[in-house]
Amino acid sequence: MNILNYFKQVPTWSPEKVRRFLKEKSPEEYNLVDVRTPKEYERGHLPGARLIPVGEMANRLFEIDPHKPTIAY
Amino acid sequence: MRSRAAAATLLEAGFKEVYSMEGGINAWNGRVAEGAPQSGMAYFAPAATPEELAALAWRLEGGSRKFYSALADTVTDPEAKDLYRQLAKAEEHHQTALLKLYEEFSGKASAPGFPGALLPPGDEDGDTMEGGMRVSEALEWAKGKKTTDILELSLSLETNAYDLYIKMERRMQDEHSAQVFHVLSAEEKQHLERLSALLEKRM
Repeated sequence: MNILNYFKQVPTWSPEKVRRFLKEKSPEEYNLVDVRTPKEYERGHLPGARLIPVGEMANRLFEIDPHKPTIAY
Repeated sequence: MRSRAAAATLLEAGFKEVYSMEGGINAWNGRVAEGAPQSGMAYFAPAATPEELAALAWRLEGGSRKFYSALADTVTDPEAKDLYRQLAKAEEHHQTALLKLYEEFSGKASAPGFPGALLPPGDEDGDTMEGGMRVSEALEWAKGKKTTDILELSLSLETNAYDLYIKMERRMQDEHSAQVFHVLSAEEKQHLERLSALLEKRM
């Protein structure tokens, strides 16, 4: 993981916007990615979220479809 | 913020549309599911065919139906009684959807007593409900509890079930197996919305 990625500007959505999006869409229409640790995921995650800790992201890109909208938290 | 870094990595890799959720999970005030990524999947492990998957899911929905029917029979509050009846009805609806899928896949009408012979031995009493809890234990817990507490339990069980069905659908290699979980997650989503609305009304 490139440390500079922590300082890049990326588009953000409010939790409310995410909630509406998830309500309207069917799970196969998007990627929902939990980038925290497995312990944090176990304690509570958004329904259907995939667990890909941020440090593993670069090596696990093949697990998610680049053509679908992706929400990370 | 970890999600921003992750989003930057995805954008760099060529993903076109990526969003980081502001405030992360702490800002999320919706329901969350608990457990590891594979949690709950073991229940479906014995199934080798889409028919067997439908049968296992049917039995699980039957457990949930049993839970809600028993609650409807025991509570005295008329509004709560009505609510549990509705929930039992919804589970019955899920079972009907699964039965239809089974018939479609196998090309034959389901025998009386479905799923019986389709399943390996174990849990013939149908004591497991969605979310992996034992029906008998959940009913024991529910004794003397307030309606809102029981609704909270239902919501967390159903949220875990929704989480599981989405992940199972993704995991399935063949189209029919994926379809079983697609039907279930779609039903579960509606079900959760109704439950949340009812809980909000009661609070």
